[in-house]
Amino acid sequence: MGAESRPVPDEPGSEPGFVRPEVLALKILVTVKLVPDTNADKRIDPSTMRLVRTGVETVLNPFDEYALEAALQLKEKLNDGSTVTVVSMTPAANKEIVRKALAMGADDAVMISDDTLAGSDLWGTAVALSAAIKAQSPDLVLTGTQSTDAISGDLPGMLAEKLGFPGLTYARKIDLADGRVRVERETENGYMTISAPLPALVSVTKSANEPRYPSLKGIMGAKKKEIKQLAAADLGLTVAVGTDGAKAKLINVAPAPVRGKGRVETAADGADGARIIVEFLKERKFL
Amino acid sequence: MQNVIAYIEHKHGVVRRVSLEAVTQGRTLADKLGGKVHAVVAGAGASDAAETLKKYPVDQIHVSGDERFIDGAVDALETVAKSAGNALVLVGNTMIGRDVGSRFAARVDCGINADVVDFTTDGSVAAVMPKLGGLVITTCAYVGDFGVAAIRPNVFAAKETSGAGEIVHLASNATASPVTVEDEVEEAAAELGVEEASVVVSGGRGMGGPEPFTTILKDLADAFGGAVGASRAAVDAGWIPHGHQVGQTGKTISPTLYLAVGISGAIQHKVGMRTSETIVAINKDANAPIAEFADLLVVGDAFAIVPALTNLVRDAKAAHA
Repeated sequence: MGAESRPVPDEPGSEPGFVRPEVLALKILVTVKLVPDTNADKRIDPSTMRLVRTGVETVLNPFDEYALEAALQLKEKLNDGSTVTVVSMTPAANKEIVRKALAMGADDAVMISDDTLAGSDLWGTAVALSAAIKAQSPDLVLTGTQSTDAISGDLPGMLAEKLGFPGLTYARKIDLADGRVRVERETENGYMTISAPLPALVSVTKSANEPRYPSLKGIMGAKKKEIKQLAAADLGLTVAVGTDGAKAKLINVAPAPVRGKGRVETAADGADGARIIVEFLKERKFL
Repeated sequence: MQNVIAYIEHKHGVVRRVSLEAVTQGRTLADKLGGKVHAVVAGAGASDAAETLKKYPVDQIHVSGDERFIDGAVDALETVAKSAGNALVLVGNTMIGRDVGSRFAARVDCGINADVVDFTTDGSVAAVMPKLGGLVITTCAYVGDFGVAAIRPNVFAAKETSGAGEIVHLASNATASPVTVEDEVEEAAAELGVEEASVVVSGGRGMGGPEPFTTILKDLADAFGGAVGASRAAVDAGWIPHGHQVGQTGKTISPTLYLAVGISGAIQHKVGMRTSETIVAINKDANAPIAEFADLLVVGDAFAIVPALTNLVRDAKAAHA
């Protein structure tokens, strides 16, 4: 466990003579992806089949903000010198957006930026990101459940497997005690309580918390925080990632069929509205 | 890849529909590719689930008694995949399906495609998926002997056949699981989630509070045998849990019928449901954005229309019963 190499911090407010057993500060790591703004109405350039980015802001993946908030809350609750590090695989030009995570309260950040990583599929992303995470020796890795642009929801499981960590996904509540992490994992109609020893990976759902806005103090403080810049060569990878190494290869992109405007009818009253809908559903053989 | 392995998700032996969709689609793919269809089912109740699978077009049903959460299924898949030599692994694009599929892909170092709605088999198999919130349709091929496709529920058909698969028991050499399941709590009656229901009745800001989600919308959804969904506005207001949210920060779904009640149809919602087969909206505003992509928009008072509609749907269903 990575924590063993770190010093035991001073126990704030402890009584003289009080010995807190085995207190070790935790290194909490949060993965963050940068995505096109969720609320922008996106368009595709028909000549390149790529997203038109003009006028579309790049933001922290909203799902990752729940992971970051959970990490900050754990750090505040532990209050023992535990730290929160943000890790993001993104072009170096996005440094100031990564800084927003620092403004929210993360202690430092690691960016993995390299042209050779561009075009990585999920597998390549998991390989590169897990290598960067491993080098940080975290005790706990928190991720969002998915990104708003790719929406696969597969990266948390892949990272857990590549790290060799237990993976506790879809957590809406996270507790740390006795070297274990215990979460309430959302299910389709309830939840299950699952736990595992640290180090572990937890993906955090939207129900877990309400992410904070950076305070003015946080924004000012973030300017002094370190953003470590890594290149692919720093990761010690033994396999090719990026477009050339992809195990899932994009072979075609086509515009989705456009959904046209349908009928609009005004209902005189409730019964009339119901009648209009039922007639329509009968036409379409639903009833 | 010629072979297909369907990972069977089940609860105490009751197989999820998306897994039956996976085996049925698996048969179609394997026939085109010249391979076999395997089903892998693990955990408590696996033998019961295997009985259900005998009614579906599977060549071999691999049963593992390994009850470890996620790990048991991944180990079983790995064993069957390695023995098959090559395989496309189909999982449902569900919480459990994604966990199992993603861990398998990372373990055997293969490609994974999520939210798959179609396949092409031009020489080799490739997965077809909507991307960028449904703006484009992408096709992704696999490199190597293995691949994973997480299929969107409700898109592929599940069809029973007379074929009876051979049951193969997998030896379990399970080690202790690092993940301990301490408790499982059902907060709502077991019902189809919005991802799997073929009819989804969603409410938005226009509902004004939590009550309609458990009364008029629920009644209408029940009349169809469907599920209740919601827009982000309704979830953020705390009217209904996040699991019901349809949209960019919720679920992306393709039911055959989507009823949007009091939902304006902002882009954030649209990307989660625009691939529904038929969209019917009820809104008091004729100029709501949803008018641009609903097949039918009825302008009127949802609180009067929905209960009346529920009665008519019940009558129509009863007349057919």
